[in-house]
Amino acid sequence: MALANPEKLKVVTTLSRRDVYFSLARVPRSSRVFLGCSDFKVYEADLAQPKPDFKEIGAHNSYVTGVALHGTTLLSCSYDGRVIWWDTEKKAQIRAVDAHQKWIRRIIISPDGKRAASVADDMVCKVWDVASGKMVYELRGHQVKTPHHFPSMLYASAFSADSKLLATGDKVGHIVLWDLASGKEVTTLEAPVMYTWDPVARRHSIGGIRSLAFSPDGTQLAVGGMGKVGNIDHLEGKTRVEVFDWQKGQQTHLFAGDKFNGLVNQLRFHPQGEWLLGAGGAGDGFLLFYDLKSKKTLRQEKAPMHIHDVALNEEGNTLYTAGHNKIVVFDLKG
Amino acid sequence: MRTLSFFSLALLTAWSPLASAADLLPADRPIEQVIDHYIEARLQQEKVVPAGQIDDANLIRRLTLDLNGRIPTAAEVQAFVRSTDPAKRAKLIDRLMASPAFVRHQATEFDTMLMAGTNASIRDYLLKAFANNRSWDRIFRELLLPDENDPQQQGASAFMKPRLTDLDKLTNDVSVAFFGVNVSCARCHDHPLVPDWKQDHFFGMKAFFNRTFDNGGFLGERGYGVLKFKTTKGVEKQAKMMFLTGKVIEAPASSEPSNEEQKKEKAALEEAKRKKKAPPAPSFSARAQLVKVALEPEQRDFFARALVNRLWLRLHGHGLVAPLDQMHSENAPSHPELLTWLARDTVAHGYDVRRLLRGLVMSKTYSRSSRWDGEVTPALNLFAVARVRPLTPMQMATSLRLATSDPASFAADRKPQEVEKKIEQLEGSASGFARLIEQPHEDFQISVSEALLFSNNDRVLREFLAEGGDRLLTRLKQARNPREVIDLAVRNVCSRDPRPEEIPVLVEYLSKRADRPTEAQRQLIWALLTSAEFRFNY
Amino acid sequence: MAAPRKTFCGSPDHALDRRGFLGAALATGGAFAADMTGLNVLTQAALAGELKKKQRRCILLWLAGGASQLETWDPKPGAATGGPFRAIQTSVPGVHISELMPRMARRLSRNTALVRSLNTRNGDHGGGARLMMRGRRDEANIRYPDLGAVLARELGQTESKVPDYVSFYFATEGRDFAPGAAGFLGSRYAPMELYKSMIPENIRKLDSISALDHKERADLRDFLTRQFERGRSSSTLASHNEAYQRVRGLMACDKLFDIEQEPAKMREHYGPTQFGEQALVARRLVEAGVPFVRVARAWWDSHGQNFETHQELVPELDHVMGALLDDLEQRGLLDSTLVITLAEFGRTPGINASLGRDHFASAWSMSLSGCGIKGGAVYGKTDASGNRVVEGEVGAAEVFATIYAALGINPQKNYYLGSRPIPLTDPGTKPIKEVLA
Repeated sequence: MALANPEKLKVVTTLSRRDVYFSLARVPRSSRVFLGCSDFKVYEADLAQPKPDFKEIGAHNSYVTGVALHGTTLLSCSYDGRVIWWDTEKKAQIRAVDAHQKWIRRIIISPDGKRAASVADDMVCKVWDVASGKMVYELRGHQVKTPHHFPSMLYASAFSADSKLLATGDKVGHIVLWDLASGKEVTTLEAPVMYTWDPVARRHSIGGIRSLAFSPDGTQLAVGGMGKVGNIDHLEGKTRVEVFDWQKGQQTHLFAGDKFNGLVNQLRFHPQGEWLLGAGGAGDGFLLFYDLKSKKTLRQEKAPMHIHDVALNEEGNTLYTAGHNKIVVFDLKG
Repeated sequence: MRTLSFFSLALLTAWSPLASAADLLPADRPIEQVIDHYIEARLQQEKVVPAGQIDDANLIRRLTLDLNGRIPTAAEVQAFVRSTDPAKRAKLIDRLMASPAFVRHQATEFDTMLMAGTNASIRDYLLKAFANNRSWDRIFRELLLPDENDPQQQGASAFMKPRLTDLDKLTNDVSVAFFGVNVSCARCHDHPLVPDWKQDHFFGMKAFFNRTFDNGGFLGERGYGVLKFKTTKGVEKQAKMMFLTGKVIEAPASSEPSNEEQKKEKAALEEAKRKKKAPPAPSFSARAQLVKVALEPEQRDFFARALVNRLWLRLHGHGLVAPLDQMHSENAPSHPELLTWLARDTVAHGYDVRRLLRGLVMSKTYSRSSRWDGEVTPALNLFAVARVRPLTPMQMATSLRLATSDPASFAADRKPQEVEKKIEQLEGSASGFARLIEQPHEDFQISVSEALLFSNNDRVLREFLAEGGDRLLTRLKQARNPREVIDLAVRNVCSRDPRPEEIPVLVEYLSKRADRPTEAQRQLIWALLTSAEFRFNY
Repeated sequence: MAAPRKTFCGSPDHALDRRGFLGAALATGGAFAADMTGLNVLTQAALAGELKKKQRRCILLWLAGGASQLETWDPKPGAATGGPFRAIQTSVPGVHISELMPRMARRLSRNTALVRSLNTRNGDHGGGARLMMRGRRDEANIRYPDLGAVLARELGQTESKVPDYVSFYFATEGRDFAPGAAGFLGSRYAPMELYKSMIPENIRKLDSISALDHKERADLRDFLTRQFERGRSSSTLASHNEAYQRVRGLMACDKLFDIEQEPAKMREHYGPTQFGEQALVARRLVEAGVPFVRVARAWWDSHGQNFETHQELVPELDHVMGALLDDLEQRGLLDSTLVITLAEFGRTPGINASLGRDHFASAWSMSLSGCGIKGGAVYGKTDASGNRVVEGEVGAAEVFATIYAALGINPQKNYYLGSRPIPLTDPGTKPIKEVLA
């Protein structure tokens, strides 16, 4: 088995694009990806090709902020409030659902392929039956307004590996764990440092929980965003990842970055749990590797662009990333 | 009814900037005599009988504010009023000008003037300069051509630095501050009514600064570079270095440097930045040319007159040329011969600011009353009556401190050095409050926020009206009767004795509050401090 | 008499005009008009017109830091520069604004006009703010008054018991870029600036003095000052006394600043945010006759996360502005009150890697509502990407001329600095008549 070594990280492919790519879903055991774009469209491309053809699958009416794949079913979500089911073989729309009142930030599919979860700024997480498109639950556990009377935002979500748990995280740092079978709250956690409200100089806010990931064994929940920000005109808080033992409700790890400013937009555990990957950016982008056992940051590396979404291959040694004006493939084979 | 056309006005005045030296009073006359001679002559010509001379208490207040930036202490007033020495005025002036407070006040005044419109200060440099009685031409040279390695000139470069981002402003600021000429109108077009000022003048002046730049916090200057501008007709023109008098400086032919030279230059500049040093001066410095030409015998009239006019304005509240920055042929001085004589005298005595100031405050013109009992107040430019002048922030804050201090701290039996030291401390502690007071300017209006500040702010109460060891209020508590309170308070705050018409009113105010004497005294001090009399130099 | 002086940089456009002179003659002791007092053109009819005009008022909602035109008044949905927000139909057929402003979309045709073609050429916070607060570029030798100071002078009553220029700016960012400036008009027209407290500084008596003593102490001050003023006259001296004379009137109007005086329902109408509360106070002030109030909402400088920032701030603007206009309209005040949204500049159509938009002064928008404005008018146009103005380009001078015209003030009126005439807007500047009623 090829090892995945963060020390060996290198760029394999860089594709420069006019637009911003917010979301990426990979076809298992392949280099084919589906991409959600700022031009409102959903594309398919094979990143193994030297000059991949970006085939349009279809379009939304705003930025496409999430894509998720199960078999030949692709789900996409957008700031237009809709979730669309696509048949990737027929390249056709199966159904479009007006899912949320406000921007949808992300859509994910559970590892068992049965459930999908969409999170949106109406502060509701909706759980969908992937096959039928029926809504299963409306999960309401996040405040609609910030303590300062402004609209809050619900950015992040993650399923556990056993598809039993779902976590959602919002702008002010509130996290809810849900039992997928019952649709009930299991517990809540708080990561308030991720949210910066500036009461004096600028009187608005920045930040929020931007990413969540369960450890492969399901006992730990990693939470990503950025630390407190001085000048909130810019994404100039340091990268920040907190890890919780959610059953005890305790923070077990804090990785407060010392190299990069910006949002940790995505978190992925290595499939065998060897390390945790964070990716994101501000004006520039970064990749972060953490070792949970030693509580050490293994590597903080500049990326060619602000990264919005990532996918690891099954071995965890090829990394597909989408972001600001670029799509980049990295190799970590060691 | 009189109709006004701005164009017909152009025909009304013709002013020769250089009255013939032969017609002037002799050069060896004392300054004050010459001032009074020319001012009197004009008054006679206009058939105006000027206001009388001020009394001694008023004179020492005016002089102390103008020369030391504060009101006099009650002891100083008493000593001066009681003195029968016929030379007491000259002696007072010399004492005030010998005080370190004179240097501090001069530095504050010139700093405010030279640094207006920037957030920077050159006061530390000016303190050194005035302490050594550095001449005005030397200060001019050091501000425009600072040697950043000379400790004597430390801080001088802060005059240019904050202005380097806007060379138009730098050009105009230098013209206004040192030459009394505002050329900004001529930036966009020839001045339509003042034939003196063409676009060539503005850009001519700017050309002296065009090669100057900031290099990592140090002043740099290139030996090449041309300034181009578009005339109103849209023709592109290359500006020549030209002084306000029209004198053109022919710069040695310089071509744009080659790529190789540019690289070398860049490396040298980077090197200077790294070493935190000023980059090497060019062999031909345009700025040095401006300093040189401005002080040449045929050109230096602007420089000398601007200094005279500025000090005159400061002491009289109105310039011999008004407005201050409009020194040109279409805006005649009110007393052309006087200005010419004073400018000649200033040049002859090496631009000695101290000497000029002394002459100005020795004149009878300076010590006229600000009160006019006649019906129609004479025009300002006759200087028949003194103009009331609002205190500057530092004058006001220091005077507030002094007025509310226990007069015993400054009593006649204290050592002069001790009193001097105490006053310096007061001045230091006044600078915070000074920031709450607006700097007066032409047509200055006192804002309602100042009145609200004094009426209702806790800081005024704490800083000036509190009880404490060295406070006036504490001293007043020891007074035996209302009359004693009034004498002490009025002398300390107003630098004079109470007047007969005030006494019954003040006595009544205090008597009505016999149940709360401290409050009553506090209110009395407040009313004296906030009266117009305290707010102005009159 | 003294030889007349002639010191201004005039041109035929600066020639003395009748209206200009009228303004000068009404000056309250300002020396800037002193040279003109010999002329007798102050007719009764003209005076009546001037007085009527004085009932007009203006509220400036100052979107400090630079709100994005693309997320407010000039959306470009679908363009690469358009961002994620949709445009929605307004009550004016064919006119769309950002979906973040549903309330204003519904009432756009009633009282509001948009100008979508500002090219103000200054993308620096300080320079831009001074330009848009003063309507012109700084000039080395003239300290120009800002909009508030000019309107305080033009629309204020000399004997007014209320302040005539109030400015709220609580956030600290950008406050010093363009502080209220009375310029050559003098401190009489300087703003009462509120930085921290909803009640103006120093407007309330300290507890340590009784009301009676406070008054009698002022009377004593007045007595002493009158003694001093005998035989002495100067406009600065007069201003000192005038300032103290106004203290009691201003102290009496502290209730105007107190939103507790408003019923709970009205406070809900404006909402719980600071901006909402200040807009409500602004309404109370104009109702009481304050001619100019600025409510600064800072800070819009969204270099990072433009869309998140605008998702926070635009709905608040939409709500507060809509509430303010509704309230003014219901009180019959909107016909005489001009409400403006303006900033130092707009934001770049280009979206940076932090999903931000940067400073942009070449093609941006503002709104004008109420007094003198043609509701539903939309003036000017930008290209499909929003990168440049393609129709009706205007700068700060035209904006100010339009504001003055809407308030019944001649934009070419002159002030005098010595003898130099200073027109309110540069000669030849035309108001945007398409947005005027």
